[in-house]
Amino acid sequence: MVDHARNAAAFLQNPERARWHDRALWHVRQKRDLAVKAVPEWEALRRAAEEIKGHTLQHLGYYLERFEARAQDNSIEVFWAEDAKELQQIVGKLLQEHGASKVVKSKSMLTEECGLNPYLESLGIEVTDTDLGERIVQLAEDRPSHIVLPAIHLKKEQVAEIFARKLGTDPNESDPFRLTRAARKHLRQKFLEAEAAVTGVNFALAEEGGIVICTNEGNADLGAALPDLHIACMGLEKVIPSARELGLFTRVLARSATGQAITAYTSHFLRPKPGGRLCVVIVDNGRSHLLAGRQEKLLSCIRCGACMNTCPVYRRSGGHSYETVVPGPIGSALAAANDSDKYASLPFACTLCSSCDLVCPARIDLHRQLYQERERCIRVPKYRGKRRGLKAAALFLRYPGLRRTAMGILGSLMPKLPRSWIYYRFNLWGREHEMLRPARRSFSRLYKERKQ
Amino acid sequence: MSAREKILQRLSDRSRPPAVKPSLPDPLGRSDDLIPSFAEALKAAGGVSNLLNDPMELESALARSFPEATVVLDTRQAPTTGTEFDSRRSWDLVILEGKLGVAENGAVWVEWNEHYPRSVLTLAEHLALILPKEALVATMQEAYEVLDLSSVAYGLFLAGPSKTADIEQALVIGAHGAVTLKVFLV
Repeated sequence: MVDHARNAAAFLQNPERARWHDRALWHVRQKRDLAVKAVPEWEALRRAAEEIKGHTLQHLGYYLERFEARAQDNSIEVFWAEDAKELQQIVGKLLQEHGASKVVKSKSMLTEECGLNPYLESLGIEVTDTDLGERIVQLAEDRPSHIVLPAIHLKKEQVAEIFARKLGTDPNESDPFRLTRAARKHLRQKFLEAEAAVTGVNFALAEEGGIVICTNEGNADLGAALPDLHIACMGLEKVIPSARELGLFTRVLARSATGQAITAYTSHFLRPKPGGRLCVVIVDNGRSHLLAGRQEKLLSCIRCGACMNTCPVYRRSGGHSYETVVPGPIGSALAAANDSDKYASLPFACTLCSSCDLVCPARIDLHRQLYQERERCIRVPKYRGKRRGLKAAALFLRYPGLRRTAMGILGSLMPKLPRSWIYYRFNLWGREHEMLRPARRSFSRLYKERKQ
Repeated sequence: MSAREKILQRLSDRSRPPAVKPSLPDPLGRSDDLIPSFAEALKAAGGVSNLLNDPMELESALARSFPEATVVLDTRQAPTTGTEFDSRRSWDLVILEGKLGVAENGAVWVEWNEHYPRSVLTLAEHLALILPKEALVATMQEAYEVLDLSSVAYGLFLAGPSKTADIEQALVIGAHGAVTLKVFLV
């Protein structure tokens, strides 16, 4: 079972780094706020985004079939994958049939979720992640810690060290501009050599039968332009009715993600390039099971990362502490919904402050979702002690007389007890906090006295 | 049963075509003066706008803006027949026609002319986009109302040059694609 609290404690071992992480992400949140203030109808946009996503999920079967038919009209090949394994096999087979041994990939959290890179590497295919942050993480043999800013957990000195080791640059050169130029040169070569491109999908247009990919770097465009095979992988929730709705989502996505008005590239792939193949793989991998219950709303997520940037727990614990592909509030809710045994600690890595609800462009009720997941997650064997503690607390809450008596005894006793009796092993609260000192006279006593 | 059938069967209660589509909110509070808003948004996206009062000035403005460019591709003209393009070569400057500009974010809609390799777009060091002043709309919602995607194979909204902030959130212009992007409003 993932132990978020332990992982977070490890992250906080380096307080300076943790503070930097916290501030860097809060800065992104502030940029988001500025961008949002420039749009007076922002709240109406969020409501519309929520409504459109809900509508599309209500008719998901229809829209997926519509997308498939229209895409096929446009000479796009459509494949379906039940789970991660099927996606791996479809992509692996397409690449092998094409004779591709070198592949460039742009960012796709879905392929990360489905373990595509390790699988393709096991087939002897070289996969190069081309998003700069993802490339840094790949060279470091690390994992992304954020869905929009994959290398936010690394400092520029570490990037310099990784580049020096893998690309032969000067280890003392840690200027972001120079490092980015070095990566551009290195990756340009990879682009020119690539025999196939794998990308994700931001939006699939059912009516127009095409896919839309948003990047700032242009890596999806360059990657897909050169080789004759482009494989785009999408979760089935990525479909939207038509380009008309894209007019809304392109207004909210980048503003929520980074505070930009729009990404530098918003690319519409509506037909394969002349002489090339464009294959779209629609992946379920557990998504359709979420539709049945209250977790349906989690499928409205457009992966902007705003809930991570604003989350006080994420900012202070780092993306790796979640041990999931998608971290933060949405990641915790998805992980617990899919596997509450393994990820039982994640819904508790939340203060229920609901800041994520307020920034989510699709108005997902994240804090409520996390709260509801707790009801299931508390049942895992590891939380037996916690359950007993809560049951005991419930007893005191149910009987006010009992509580008053206990509090009275505790109040007079506590100041006299030695510290080691209070801050002992089972006092989890006292591990990180100083206990409140009981007042000499309780509120209810003061209240009673005042009334007399 | 195939994966397609299994997935669609699970969604069988969601396979009815919708009676109505959800409505979109009306954009609010836009100024009528689209040109300054566009210029400001483009600047924020790292691009440059150049407003020309006289369309005759265009060619000289292009030459003035990119004096060092020697390997130039002007996609306004169709390539002469029989020209073979090396899709892997780099270009100093590529000139493209924009169909539509969006004032709220400085993005320009480009419909790719498939006579040219798609890689030209990202293998260009500098991009010059030529956009008629009348082709500006206020928001993305209006842009998609105007656009007709039915005959487009590859089209994109370009908002400034390529960029990244993946190293310590420091903005660096010129990630994989163009290092500069200039829009000429004629």
